[in-house]
Amino acid sequence: MLPNQSPAEAKTEQADLLFVTYGRHGEAPAPVIAAATPADCFHMAYEAARIAVKYMTPVYLLTDGYLANGSEPWLVPESKDLPAILVHFRTDPENFYPYSRNENNVRPWAIPGVPGLEHRIGGLEKQNITGNVSYDPDNHDAMIHLRAEKVKGIEKDIPLQEVYGEQSGDLLVISWGGTFGAVRSTVDKLRRSHHKVSHAHLRYLNPFPRNLCDILKNFKKVFVPEINLGQLAKLLKSEFLVPVVQFNRMRGLPLKSTELEKAIIETLSKDPVAQIESAVHGKGAK
Amino acid sequence: MADIKGNGGVAPAGAGAQTKKYAAKDFASDQDVRWCPGCGDYSILAQVQRILPELDVPREKHVFISGIGCSSRFPYYMEAYGVHGIHGRAPAIASGVKTANPDLTVWVATGDGDALSIGGNHFIHALRRNIGLKILMFNNQIYGLTKGQYSPTSELGKKTKSTPYGTVDYPFNPVQLALGAAGTFVARSMDRDPKHLQQVLLRAARHNGTAFIEIYQNCNVFNDGAFEILTEKETKPDHVVYLENGKPLIFGKENDKGIRLNGFTPEVVSLKDGKWRVNDLLVYNESSLDLAVLLATFSEREGFPTPVGVFYKADRKSYEQMLAEQIESVTQKRGAGDLDKLLKSGNTWEVSAN
Repeated sequence: MLPNQSPAEAKTEQADLLFVTYGRHGEAPAPVIAAATPADCFHMAYEAARIAVKYMTPVYLLTDGYLANGSEPWLVPESKDLPAILVHFRTDPENFYPYSRNENNVRPWAIPGVPGLEHRIGGLEKQNITGNVSYDPDNHDAMIHLRAEKVKGIEKDIPLQEVYGEQSGDLLVISWGGTFGAVRSTVDKLRRSHHKVSHAHLRYLNPFPRNLCDILKNFKKVFVPEINLGQLAKLLKSEFLVPVVQFNRMRGLPLKSTELEKAIIETLSKDPVAQIESAVHGKGAK
Repeated sequence: MADIKGNGGVAPAGAGAQTKKYAAKDFASDQDVRWCPGCGDYSILAQVQRILPELDVPREKHVFISGIGCSSRFPYYMEAYGVHGIHGRAPAIASGVKTANPDLTVWVATGDGDALSIGGNHFIHALRRNIGLKILMFNNQIYGLTKGQYSPTSELGKKTKSTPYGTVDYPFNPVQLALGAAGTFVARSMDRDPKHLQQVLLRAARHNGTAFIEIYQNCNVFNDGAFEILTEKETKPDHVVYLENGKPLIFGKENDKGIRLNGFTPEVVSLKDGKWRVNDLLVYNESSLDLAVLLATFSEREGFPTPVGVFYKADRKSYEQMLAEQIESVTQKRGAGDLDKLLKSGNTWEVSAN
């Protein structure tokens, strides 16, 4: 989990999404989630721990400077209301295989100190099931797929994406992280003036919620405001092959509602084809 | 918490538990060993497997953690828990394992590149913290796994694949570095001196806190003979001095040479010409940091023998001991932790219904 995404001057931005999604040696996917509001930081930290333990994987939790410096009323939870994070530690040496997997493709938790479960983990590829060091090319290919499937499979265990407003319409604004407040208030304002605009704020970025593809297809245009040069936009385009309109500002400050509003209205008024062409040619929606 | 002098860094077998008697082969895993034929690593592996049965620690309580490099394949060959970790980061992983599970005996297998270059930062801080890790650093003065580039211990001017005209880097002296980083057990041994290596390994295993052993290891493919003068029968006696606590520093083919101190300056003297006798020689004291620091320079001093053995050993509380003590004392004062109280502490308030 990364703490604040911190540019040198420690101002708010969202420039580490691609880094945490792809910034590793080899094919080694890891889940990425992001908090939407200051209060949501607690829940998403808890969620990160749940996923990490249940799926035996590092989890990246993204927050940003705006969330760290922001505040909101938050009902302090009772510990008894927090869902238990259960972990089963293997103790039975009978038929123990360190690289066997459960229904979620997760290996057994066999921790040092337990007699009969001695085994080795680490950087060299292991034979599926047995965990022996393996140089077999087909085994390596299979293991790469297994690890990818494990992370992809987490989509079954996270909430479906919710859409604020109508489930279809002229334009869907997709945001993530600390821009939630600015984007939601802008969408509210536009909706009050009868624009057919909806909002989806993503808290799960890898894997994406499993209904996200269908949601995207229900809107004529997809508008993605970010405090970076289009990192979520890049992920959405490559994952779902949908054209998106980007809105990117990197001033170390939160997005401004007035600017967003203007850009969304402009996007709504443009011919979709021209819109995409202008996006492709790098002019964005300025 | 165990008494600091108790059984040192070695985990107890558990009250009433009958420790199984092991043989060296019980610690050999069934994985194919993939080091080059003739590699010094085989000897280090064999000596570790030989001494483990003497420790009275159940096999499942041993964890071997490594970074990247030839040396770092070590955990695969041990029938124990093992983690082949991230380049240079074995001390970080091992620190977590030991802190969370103080009853485990945690070993770190690393090399000169992994420990001193890629992981230099982790290495010095593990030593400073005196966390209960046994760090075995296989020093072959070369990057072997990547086929022969100069390492942070390669001698100045060494020609390698990455330095065709010789290095222009001064090397680290690992013993000096470990002493400077406040290590509490700093030793050196050699792959080709199995008996000595076993003794040093046993003492390291029983040390409370971080134990560091620099092990001179011959890479017979990319840096063959780097330590030949120290390991070959003919040359060894005149070039190696064994450090033994409470004993004078004597060396030479006929035990005819010694080290004496002339003020702060060490001198190599002959015991043959009648001028100096054994009583005039420096008696080694492994609890003296001053002597350790002085002796650490010998391997680079012209005309001086290279010391092997325990340079320095200090009794200091380990990180995990102090952590446990702190938790205990704070718990006694303030009671066991309460998550709900913690959540409601600080700037929280209640909104009432009316």
